[in-house]
Amino acid sequence: MRIPHPREIQVATVDWLDERYPFTKSVDEALYQRVPNFANAFYYCFGGMVFILVVLQLLTGILLSLYYVPDATGIPAPAYTSVNYIQSTVYLGWLIRGVHFWGANILIIMVLLHMARVYWTGSYRAPRELNWMVGVVMLLLILAFSLTGYLLPWDQKAYFATEVTIKIAGLPPPPQLGEFIRQILQGGPVVGPPTLQRFFTIHVFLLPALITLLMYVHFRFIRAHGISEPM
Amino acid sequence: MASLLTSTVVVGLAPILVFLWPAPPKGQKKLAVTVALDKPVDQLANGEAIKFDAPSSPNTAFVMANGGGDNAPGALAFGGFAVKDTQGKAHVFAINCSHLGCPIAYVQASSDHPDTTFDCPCHGSRFHLDGTVLHGPATAPLSDLSWKQGTDPKTIVVDGLELGF
Repeated sequence: MRIPHPREIQVATVDWLDERYPFTKSVDEALYQRVPNFANAFYYCFGGMVFILVVLQLLTGILLSLYYVPDATGIPAPAYTSVNYIQSTVYLGWLIRGVHFWGANILIIMVLLHMARVYWTGSYRAPRELNWMVGVVMLLLILAFSLTGYLLPWDQKAYFATEVTIKIAGLPPPPQLGEFIRQILQGGPVVGPPTLQRFFTIHVFLLPALITLLMYVHFRFIRAHGISEPM
Repeated sequence: MASLLTSTVVVGLAPILVFLWPAPPKGQKKLAVTVALDKPVDQLANGEAIKFDAPSSPNTAFVMANGGGDNAPGALAFGGFAVKDTQGKAHVFAINCSHLGCPIAYVQASSDHPDTTFDCPCHGSRFHLDGTVLHGPATAPLSDLSWKQGTDPKTIVVDGLELGF
């Protein structure tokens, strides 16, 4: 039997795939887009940098979740000791957590810079208003990420910062509504283990799914509209 | 058709909302908490206060009696002060400031602090030793804790809640 050349295997594989779904066409459409000259300015890169940071957060977050224990019962609580363990014992744990921590901070800065650029170049105008709205929702999601992630180390700063934010979240009138929001967020009479469990679930399951979906929508919109010309 | 859709959504969402509403943890119950002090309350000098904390094993909180401001009757406190005011009347206060709930501190009179008061480190509220406001931003007095003398004279028994976690 003749041994096929690797090139032939590659062509055969791609052909087999393309007969079932037009992968080559889809990839070509996604990649071979001419970038207009005006979009070569550095400030047109802020959105892409946000995307890279979000991917970095997802990767480092998955790694951290291998060691983090979302349990706030007991003194000291496993949530606190596991973060300590990541910082001091896990190989390069300080690095992965550091990237996650600083990535989160820089992410907010980049989101604001990206937003400022979109405002400055008037890229929110018709027909792109919907994409601005999707972006605003994603800004709120990022802030929700920050809020929920801040509690997870379960130290004094995390605990009392969350107590303040939950108190603010419980302010909207009438008092029954505020109390309802507070109970749902807090999961009990005080900020305690149920709160950590809830914030962990929101931070690790709910928000990543939502932001991934919205980023996809955001990018499809950009492709549909093209990059806006500066004013 | 629209009502069918609405009822489907309601039927789907209602169990989720009910599920999210926190059930009381197993083992959460009212508790009369015995707190040991350095000396009996009736032997405190006028203007003297002793700080005490809620026990942490099992995890326990005190229940506020009358609230006021940010505090509410039935709200939880993780500490308190047993104090005899300048008139010689004994009080037991929850530790939370009535402005936004920070733990207050007992500060004795000194050259730059003319009165012995409860001071809040967060926004500078100050309270007389009988719990009334000396200086804002707090507008309501400190919350009392419901208490009685324990069998051992050095203890007081305070209404509390075992949290169950």
